[in-house]
Order: sequence, then structure tokens, then C-alpha cells
Amino acid sequence: MWKFTIRRILIMIPQIILLSVLIFALAKMMPGDALSGMVDPNVDPERLEEIRDKLGWNDPWHVQYADWVGGLVQGDLGQSFRFKMPVTELVGERIVNTFWLSIATLFFTYLIAIPLGITSGRYNDTWLDQSITSYTYIGFATPLFIFALVMLWVFGFMLGWFPTSGSVSPGLQPGTFEYVMSKITHLILPAISMALITTVSTVQYLRSEIIDTKQKDFILTARAKGASETRVYNRHILRNSLLPIAAFLGFEITGLIGGTVFIETIFGYPGMGLLFFESIQLRDYSVVTAVVLLFGIASILGALLSDIILSLVDPRIRIK
Amino acid sequence: MTKTSLQKLLFAIMLVMLLALAACGGDDNESGDTDSDNDSTTEESEANEDGLFSIDDFSNIKSNEGEAIEGGSFTYGLVSDTAFEGTLNWNFYSGNPDAEVITWFDEALLTWDENYVYTNDGAATYEADGNTFTFTIRDNVNWHDGEPVTAEDWLFAHEVIGHPDYDGPRYGTDFTNIEGMEEYHAGEADTISGIEVVDEKTLKITYKEVTPSLVTGSIWTYPLAKHIFEDIPVADMSSSDAVRKNPIGFGPFKVETIVPGESVTYTKNEDYWRGEPKLDSVTLKVINPTVVVNELETGGVDTVSSFPVDQYPDNSDLSNVEFLGNVDRAFTYMGFKLGKWDGDAGKVVPDPNAKMANKNLRQAMWHAVDNSAVADNFYHGLRWNATTLIPPSHPEFHDESNPGREYDVDKANELLDEAGYVDTNDDGFREDPDGEELVINFASMSGGDTAEPIAQYYIQSWENVGLKVELVDGRLMEFNTFYDRVEADDPEIDIYQGAWGVGIDIDPRGLWGETAAYNYTRWTSEENESLLADGVSEEAFEVEYRQEVYKEWQELMVEEVPAFPTLYRSVVVPVNNRVHNYAIGDGTGIYLHELAVTQEEPIVAE
Repeated sequence: MWKFTIRRILIMIPQIILLSVLIFALAKMMPGDALSGMVDPNVDPERLEEIRDKLGWNDPWHVQYADWVGGLVQGDLGQSFRFKMPVTELVGERIVNTFWLSIATLFFTYLIAIPLGITSGRYNDTWLDQSITSYTYIGFATPLFIFALVMLWVFGFMLGWFPTSGSVSPGLQPGTFEYVMSKITHLILPAISMALITTVSTVQYLRSEIIDTKQKDFILTARAKGASETRVYNRHILRNSLLPIAAFLGFEITGLIGGTVFIETIFGYPGMGLLFFESIQLRDYSVVTAVVLLFGIASILGALLSDIILSLVDPRIRIK
Repeated sequence: MTKTSLQKLLFAIMLVMLLALAACGGDDNESGDTDSDNDSTTEESEANEDGLFSIDDFSNIKSNEGEAIEGGSFTYGLVSDTAFEGTLNWNFYSGNPDAEVITWFDEALLTWDENYVYTNDGAATYEADGNTFTFTIRDNVNWHDGEPVTAEDWLFAHEVIGHPDYDGPRYGTDFTNIEGMEEYHAGEADTISGIEVVDEKTLKITYKEVTPSLVTGSIWTYPLAKHIFEDIPVADMSSSDAVRKNPIGFGPFKVETIVPGESVTYTKNEDYWRGEPKLDSVTLKVINPTVVVNELETGGVDTVSSFPVDQYPDNSDLSNVEFLGNVDRAFTYMGFKLGKWDGDAGKVVPDPNAKMANKNLRQAMWHAVDNSAVADNFYHGLRWNATTLIPPSHPEFHDESNPGREYDVDKANELLDEAGYVDTNDDGFREDPDGEELVINFASMSGGDTAEPIAQYYIQSWENVGLKVELVDGRLMEFNTFYDRVEADDPEIDIYQGAWGVGIDIDPRGLWGETAAYNYTRWTSEENESLLADGVSEEAFEVEYRQEVYKEWQELMVEEVPAFPTLYRSVVVPVNNRVHNYAIGDGTGIYLHELAVTQEEPIVAE
């Protein structure tokens, strides 16, 4: 087990190095920089050139890469040009929001997925199962950003149940009870919107697992022993079916990253996804590279987590 | 979980789904309704028979209905799909969203009138004596912490911006125009010789060159609180807490809390030099452009920083807001690539052999397009046909009598025939005078739903006069790519469609002068240079003389057509009916401390 984990972690190192090169190259290949298109009669073009020189944007790429990696190793992600503050501080500000959003989304995802998956698997091919399956197909087909807009319009504006933008109401003092409550109410709508869409794959996964397990011999044995139907489902089938779902968790985290970019933009929720989106638009390189790198590392860690859980659950897949 | 409770849960979920679907449908119906409502109401009021609007029917000052209450609060929606950056000081900010945030708590020492000329109504007054300007700050102008705003603070701002470590974009010709600034910037002098602090509230600045432009926006009028920033190294100032977390100013409101990138709350500054503000507090929050209308309808915001003009026709009858309108200081134009930029010499080098160098060809391309049709069909009259390169946002200098070049296909054909552009191989397109095939490459930016059809419309119009115009690479360009390639004089580009925001200073040298890097057409001529120089000469302090010069210059540009303006623009801003004393634009004489409301909560749309 430990051997597997260590080996798996060692593989990550070249992955991360390759990732950093890719990210850097792609970021530099983006046309323009943070100053291009700043056609402002009050700003002197020579001044812009001077700033470019001073910040090293005119250096050859390998020099810039070496500078960047040098900083990374020391935990310094560089200085954001647009925000005029260290990227680490900026990311620190935003990552907290995204962290809570992700937790809430995961919570709702499983809250929806588990009962639906079980129902669907247990009563497969009934009208109940069919309606749940239809929901999952609609979910697969619905683009997240359209769905989120509709949710915002219905629950935010039409019914007015939830706040419509931001992560907290303006003017509250951090640390107070109102502040925490405001944070939570701002979280719910984006989290539910995302969960309703991302949950569908888990529902389907769980459904087919249950149907699969239902036909296994040991279930037959359990029934033959006279175990009640509830006991068969709760004790034998569910336990066995949930294991792969647990392993799915790591990938779920990876999937969340893509989702937050849309959700945070639509709900004006200042987290990592929004930061990623706006820093690309503004060509704030140091932020783009830092955020993508963190996303990349999160994905790699997510995959690692999944592999580890899987290997715990199912010894057959351990690498020898 | 029992079977029945499961079923209940499922039923609930199905219900939610149904609701979501119904909402989708409802959305369509709703917008359909507003369309028809709109038609009926607009006929009575703003739109003419064709369903077109005109900016002339808008006021830029809010009408005051009802009685204002004491105190109250106001919510301002900063429309942006990016969070504001949080560099909250005039001396360091670079993005427009930050400027919107700063306006509420800090202001310029000098104000300007509707012609953008500095007045003596602001926090400071000025007097010119030759090249030396004497500024006097009013006695009751104090920073939010009670310290007086001093001449020393004003000098300090100049010292910081001129400092070699300064990381903002403000250092430029406005500063190098001050005596001794370049020496100071280069580190050869410890002080700026052209700036003298006379006493606590009086400052003298000596400029190298005094032109009419100087008094329309080229004086740096934003002091920097020396007692706060003194101990911070210049390189660290823009990221310091004094800029980001506890910003200070001398404006009508004080910053109370900041949620980075999201919202700011302000309370009134009782010690404001114009008098105590009427409102108790102001909240500014960032809202996504997709939800602007909803926020306005529900009273979530009282007004917004900008309103998408294309959404105006559908929402012109919103019951709880009044729309203010103004002519935008910007226009869209079509530029011809006529030369190269010589980076070493720092000037444009026109190329007489460029593909577009034939004057008749350029004139014909202007005659060939019907900008009024574009304006009416895509912008419902809220943009309109442009005539000259000085937009009507500067009424003093915009030449109304100059019709530009009108839509006239026959004239266009005639001009082309005359210049020898004829179709020699019967492919339906004209060849150039040497008989070579002529393909003109057109660069246009993507963005919005209308970018593509408008570009196609222009291409079609040119085809009607026998000119073969193709989009560069066959598609629209993304914003950054576009500017990168236009700036670098990419030989693939012959004409481009760009937009230009005009500064409050009318001087066109920044875009059309020989030494302007922004002169993307790379065109100039002796006559152009001499007219532009006349426009900022000593004599040009005489407004009539300057008007005459710019009139001639506008005529020259209509004759030479290095670029032609296509559309002038308007700004439309909705304001909740409960708001009093609000105005957009310049020189209205309405200041933020007078802003008031008639009831505690914003009025909600019916």
C-alpha cells in the first residue's frame, strides 16, 4: 500500500514540471499583454514601453521562465500587474471563497446523488427510475452557464430568495454572526446550481453499480438466508456500491474546477474561477500562470486521491 | 428511507425541475411582451415612427420628483465582468473600475466645465502668469482624517509619479512638460525645479510649454497624502494598505468597508469642503453585465456605471427608472493602413506605395457605406452616422456644417473609375490601376452579437461598388490579437475598424500626429502637422481661432480620408426614480454631496 502511494506521488513530480512548462508557454503565446489595447489618450505609449521593459516582459522566454520557476520554488508566485499585489496574497484572498463553494457543492452533489441513485437502482425500469434517468440526461445536456443564469433569474430575481451577486453583503464586519450567515446565504444558490448539474454523473454511476450488485451471487445468498429487503439493500448492496463512488471523489474535485469558472463569473462570486477568467481577459500573466498551476496541481492531487482510495477499496489495481 | 418519503422527495425534485423549465418558457414570453409594450409606449414618447431613438431626447440631468428625505442610502452598481482591482488612489490606479470606486471618496483639486476647461469652482483655484501657474487650495479642504490638504501633498504626488520606482501608468508628457521633471525622473536632481511650495495652501508650477491643452486636462490635480505615504517606499505604495485597505481622500464620502473585488461601503464625510453630504451612506457593488436589467428592476441598485445600449429598446419603459443620456466621448472609425511606424525615430513613415495610398479609393470606400443604416438597424438610433473626426461630445470644436462624405454609390463608382480602378477581367470586381487583382484585407474585432453582421454589411457595401474586401484570416479578431497586429503594422491588414475614446482634451495630436504611436493609420502630411501645431499654439488660446483651425483640420481629414468615422455613440444610464440631483457627463455643476433620495428603499418596477 505505502509502496504504491509513494510510487504514485513520485510520478507526480515530472507531471508537475511538464505542467509548468506547458502553462508558461501557453500563457506567453496568448496574444497581447496586460497593457495592449490600452489606447488611452492620457497614457503615453512610451511610458507603457518603459513599464514593459521594467517588468521584464521583453526578455526572452527562457529567462522569464527561469525567473518564474525560481520564484515558485521559494513559494513566490510573483506580483500581479493588474492588482498591484503579490499573487500569493491575491490567491489567498480568493481561494477561501472557492474552498467553501466547493465544499457546499460537494455536499449538495451527494445529498442529491445518493437518494436518487439508490431509488433509481433499486426500482430500476419503473416510472420512478425512468424519471430520474430523464433528469440525468437533461442534466448532461444542459450547459452549466445557461442553467446557472436561469437559476439566478428564478430564485435570485423573480422570487428574491437568495442574494444575486458577491460572496457577502456589503458593510458587514468579518467575524460577526451576520457576516457568517451572509456568507452562507450567498453560497447556497451557486452551490445548488452547480450541484444539480454535476450530480447527474454520480447518480448514473450509483444506479448502474446498484443494478450490477443486485445480480451478484452474494445478494442471492443474503436473500436465501431470509434477510429482509431493507437489510439487503442497506447492508449488502449499498455498501458495495458506494465504494466506487467514494473513489470518484477525487475526480469530482477536478470537475468542480471547470464548473467554478462559469458559476463564479455568473454569480459575481470572487473566487479562483473568476480570478482565472478575469486575469486571462486582462492578460495578467503572473496570475494566469499561478491559477492554472494551482488548478493543475489540484487535478493531479484529485487523481492521486482517487487512486489511493481505489487501491484501498480494491487491492487488484495496485501497481506491483 | 421509506418508499413514501422517497417518493415525496422525488416529487419535490420533479417540481423544482418543472419550475425551472417553466421559467425558461416564461422568460421568452416575458421578453416578447416587453417588446410589444415597448412599441406602443415609445411611439408616444421617445422613439419616432420607425422605432428609432435619438440622443437629443435625453437629458443628462435627473429630474427631481417628490420631496427628498434627510439622510438615506444609495446603491451604485459597478457593471463589470471582472472584479475591481483595488488600487484605490488616483495616483496609482490603472483600470476604469477602480476609478469608479475612487470617485466617491476622492476628487480632483480642479473641476472643469462642459468644454472641459478647468474652472475655479473646485477645491483649488488657479491663475496663469506666463508659463507659471499658481494654485491655491481652499482653506477648508481636509483629508478624511482631519489633516489639511496642503501644497506639500500636491508636490508629493508629482514627486512620487516622477520617481523612477513609480509603477503606475501616469508618468508621461503631462509630467515631462514640467520644468525639471525629466532631471528628477532620471535621478539627476533631488527636487523638481519647476514646482515651488509657496505656503501651506499655495503651489506654483512652471511648465515648459503652455498650450490650450494644458488647461483641458493636462495638469495633475490629484494630491497624495504625504503624512500617510511619506514612510512607504515608492515601489511599495501601490500595494500598501493605505491604497488597498484604508484608502483616504477628501471627497464627499469616506470608505467604511471594502470586500476586495466585490463591494465598498461609504459613509458621509461631514467635514466635506462643499458642505455636509445629504446621504448618510453609499454602497457600491460589482454586478455582472448579464444581470444589469434585473438588478435595476428589483431595486437592487439605484443606478449603474454603464448600461448596454443594445438592451435599451427592450427596457426603455422600465417604470421605476429614468434614463439619462449623453453623447459619448468616443466614436467608431475605419482606418486605412498607409505606412509604417519607425520605432527608433519615434514617428510615422507614410508609404506612398501602400495598397490604400490612392486617395480616390479611400474616398470611394467612405461613400460606399451607409452608416445611418447600420446605426438604425443595429443600434436603434442610439449610435448615428459620424461625419468628422472630432465627435459632437466636444460641441465647441465639432464642425456641424461639415457633412463628411455621404452615402452615395454613384459617387463612389465615379471616383473609382476616375482613378483607374476598373474591372478588366470581368470577374465582377475592380482591378487596381495597373490591372492587378485588388483584394483589400479588413481587420475587425469580435465581441457582441453585432460584430459579425456589421463587418459583413461593410464588406457587402464595398462589393456593391466592385471592391473585393475580405476579412483578415476569414474571421473576426479577438481584442488583444487585433491591437497587437494593428499596432505592429501587420502587412496582412489594409483597413481596420477600431474605436477611439477621445480625451477631455480635444488636441488630436495623440491619434493623428506624426509622433503618435497611436496613429495606427501611419498617415501624416505637412498640412496635417501644421494644422495640428496651430491648434495648440499661443494664438489658439483664442477659442475662435482654435475652432477655425480644427474646422480646417476636419475638412482636411474628410478630403484625405486616412480614416473615416463611422458611428458616433451615446451613453444611456438608468437612475431610480427616488434619486435626486444626479447627472452624467461633465460640467453639470451637480456634485455628489447633493445626491439625495426620496424614500428609504429604491422603487421597484411594476
